[in-house]
Amino acid sequence: MRELTYLEAVREAMSQEMRTNEDVFILGEDIGVYGGAFGVTRGMIEEFGPERIRNTPISEAAISGTAVGAALTGMRPILELQFSDFMTIAMDNMVNQAAKIRYMYGGKGKVPMVLRTPAGSGTGAAAQHSQSLEAWMAHIPGLKVVQPSTAYDAKGLLKAAMDDDNPVIFYEHKLCYRTTSDVPEEVYSIPLGKADIKKQGTDVTIVATAIMVHKSLEAAEELEKQGIHAEVIDPRTLVPLDIETIVQSVKKTGRLVVVHEAVKRGGFGGEIASLIAESEAFDYLDAPIKRLGGKAVPIPYNPELEKATIPGVSDIIEAAKETLNRL
Amino acid sequence: MAKEIFMPKLSSTMQIGTILQWFKEEGETVEVGEPLFEIMTDKINIEVDSYEEGTLLKRYFEEDDEVPINHVVGYIGDVGEGIPESPPGESGVSGKQTSSETPIEQLQAETSEQAFEQTEKVRATPAARRIAKEKEVSLNEIRGSGPNGRIQQVDVEKFEIPAATISSRATPLAEKVAIAEGVELQDIKGSGPRGKIYRADVESAKAAIDVPEILPTKRMKMTGIRKAVADRMLHSKSVAPHVTLNSEIDMTEVVAMRKKLLVPVEKQTGYRISYTEIILKATAHALKRHPNINISLEGNEIVYHDTINVGLAVALEDGLLVPVIKDADRKGFAELTVACKTAGQAAKESKLKPDEMSGGTFTISNLGMYAVDTFNPVINQPESAILGIGRIHDKPVGWEGQIVLRPMMGVGLSFDHRVIDGAPAAAFLTELKGILENPLELLM
Repeated sequence: MRELTYLEAVREAMSQEMRTNEDVFILGEDIGVYGGAFGVTRGMIEEFGPERIRNTPISEAAISGTAVGAALTGMRPILELQFSDFMTIAMDNMVNQAAKIRYMYGGKGKVPMVLRTPAGSGTGAAAQHSQSLEAWMAHIPGLKVVQPSTAYDAKGLLKAAMDDDNPVIFYEHKLCYRTTSDVPEEVYSIPLGKADIKKQGTDVTIVATAIMVHKSLEAAEELEKQGIHAEVIDPRTLVPLDIETIVQSVKKTGRLVVVHEAVKRGGFGGEIASLIAESEAFDYLDAPIKRLGGKAVPIPYNPELEKATIPGVSDIIEAAKETLNRL
Repeated sequence: MAKEIFMPKLSSTMQIGTILQWFKEEGETVEVGEPLFEIMTDKINIEVDSYEEGTLLKRYFEEDDEVPINHVVGYIGDVGEGIPESPPGESGVSGKQTSSETPIEQLQAETSEQAFEQTEKVRATPAARRIAKEKEVSLNEIRGSGPNGRIQQVDVEKFEIPAATISSRATPLAEKVAIAEGVELQDIKGSGPRGKIYRADVESAKAAIDVPEILPTKRMKMTGIRKAVADRMLHSKSVAPHVTLNSEIDMTEVVAMRKKLLVPVEKQTGYRISYTEIILKATAHALKRHPNINISLEGNEIVYHDTINVGLAVALEDGLLVPVIKDADRKGFAELTVACKTAGQAAKESKLKPDEMSGGTFTISNLGMYAVDTFNPVINQPESAILGIGRIHDKPVGWEGQIVLRPMMGVGLSFDHRVIDGAPAAAFLTELKGILENPLELLM
C-alpha cells in the first residue's frame, strides 16, 4: 500500500467522490487556482473546472448559506472554511438552519453537506486562527462532528461524511496535514460513530482527539519504556460518540486520561469524563479521571508560549502516571 | 510542668472508657500525635494520641480498668517532675500544678473529630469499593497506598485476613484469657467494632465449647392454621386495647344441677352434658340482659347484634378453631349439648364448614380441664369480648359466716375498651356470676 499525507488523503476522498457523483461540488475562499489556504484543493480546479471548484467572496455567512441552499435543492456541497475560527460567521446558517431544517420539516427536506475546516494551533497563526472550537458544534443536535487524526481515517471518514444526508462538520487539524499513513487507493468508508483503538494497553486509557492522538501515542511509547501499558483511543467522531469502546477500555484499565487541544474549560473532555462517571465503568475506576486541555487563554503568537498553551507529550505522561500513583 | 493525660469524652453518651492497652511504658518518651493508649467506649474503640511531648511519667490505670471521662489516667512531662502518687481524679480539679493549658472542651472536640475521621471516612476508589464488596472485606481494615492514603484496587486485591492478625484484633486481656483457657482466637467471632475480640467473647466461646452437643433446633415454616391464628391474635392485640376482669364463681349449684341433668340429657341426645354447655347457656342469658356486650366495631360503627352466637374455642394439634353455636340463648340444654359436641368433633376432624365458624358475637375459651385457675384471653375479632374459663376446684371460702370448701371457678373477661367500658363489662360479669351461682335464673 502506498503512503499518503493526511492532506492528500482528504483531496483524494473528494476527487474520487466527485468523479462518480455529479452532485458533489466544493465552495470556499481561494480554493481554485490557489488551492486553498493549506493547499488541500490544489489541482482540483484543473480536473473539475470552476463550476465544481467554486471560489467565493470572503464571507463565511455567504458560503455556508449557499451550501445549505444547494443541499436543500438536491446538491451535495462541500464547503471549506479557511480557518475553523471563522465558524462564528457561519454559525447562524449551521446552527439555526443546517442543523434544524430536516427536523422542522418532518424529514421532508434534508441538508447533505460537509463543512471542512482546518483547526488547531501550532502554526504561529495566533489567537484568531488557531482555536479548536469543536465543542460548540458537538453541543448542537442535528450536526455531526468528525475529527480525524490520520490520513487513513481522514479519507474513510470524509467518504462517510459525504454520503451522510445530514450536515457534518469535518475538522482537519493543521498539524495533521503533513502526517502520513498507509491509505488504500480504492474508495472506502469508515462509519461515523466508531472509535479506533490506536494502541492496545492494560494500565490506563488515554482518549485523545486530532493532533493529541499523535502526542498520546508518543507518550504511550515513553510510558511503555517505564513498564506502563497505555491504551490510546481516538473517538474519531465526537457526534455520534462511540462511548462503548471507551467504557470497555476503562473497565479493563480502571484509569482514564482525556486529552484534547481545545480549552479544557467547557471542552468535550468534560463530556467524555461525565459519560464514564455515569456508566458501568464507574465501579472500575481506580483513580480520578484526568482531563488535559488547552489553557483558558487566547493562543499566543509567540511560538514557545503557543506550545505551552496546549497539552504536550510530557503532560500526558505525567497525567497517566498520576492515575497510577507512579509520580 | 507535667501535663495530664485524661480519659477523653468521645461521644455525647460516653460516661466511662475502658483502657484496652497502653502503647507506652512509664519512662518512655512520647511525641505529639503518637498513640498513647487504646480505649473502648460504649460505641467504639479507638487509639488516643498524645497532645504533648515528653516522658510518660505515670500510668494510674492498667488494661481493662474503667475510668470515668475527664479523669486523669497519667502524666507526661520531664523526668523528675513531681506528680501525685495516686490518681488525682477529674482533670483540672486536682490543683493548679496539673491543670492543662488547653481547655478540656477543645481537646474533647479534637479527639472526637479524630475519632469520626478514623471510623467514618474512608478514601477509596470506586474500583476498590467494588472489589471490597465482592470480597466482603471492610475498607476500614485496609491501608491505602494511593495519595492521602486512598485505597486503590490493588490494596484490596492484596488484602487478606491473615491468621496472624487475628490476635492483634483481640484485646490483650482477651488474648491472655484465650491462652489460659486453651481457646483458639481464630475460632472466635468478636463482638466489638470490626470484629474486635473482648474477654467476654473468649469466655462465651469457652462456655460454648464446654456445653455438650445439642441436636439442631427443629425449624418449621409457619403455614396454614398456625399462621392464621398468629395473624388473628396479633391483629386483635394490636387494634383492640384489652382489659381483663377476673372473678371467682361459686359453682356449687351448677355442679348439683349438672348431676340432675346428666341422665335426662344423655337419654335424649346420647351425649353427656358438660359444664361448658351450662356456662355457655348462662353466658348467652347474661348477654341477652347486657346487649351492650354483644357488639362489634365495624369501621366507625358499633354494631349491636340482635342474635347471640357464642363461639367455643376448640384446641387442635396445631392451632385453634372457634365453631359458633348460633342463637345460643334460645337453645335448651339438650340442643346445646348436641350442638357443642358435634361442633367440637367436627373441629377436631377439620370438617367445620365456614358458616359454622362465622357470625360469632362472643367467644368462650375453656381451659378448665387443665390446672389453670384463671387467664386473660385474647378477643376474637371482630367480637368485643371473650370469656376465659378456669378450672372448678374446691377452695376454702367464707360462706354464711364460716370457712368452708366450695367448688370455685376462676373466670377472666377480656373486653375491647374501644367499645366497652369497665363498668358495663363488670356488670355483665357480675350478672353471669349471679346466674351461675343461682342457675334457676336460667328459667326466667
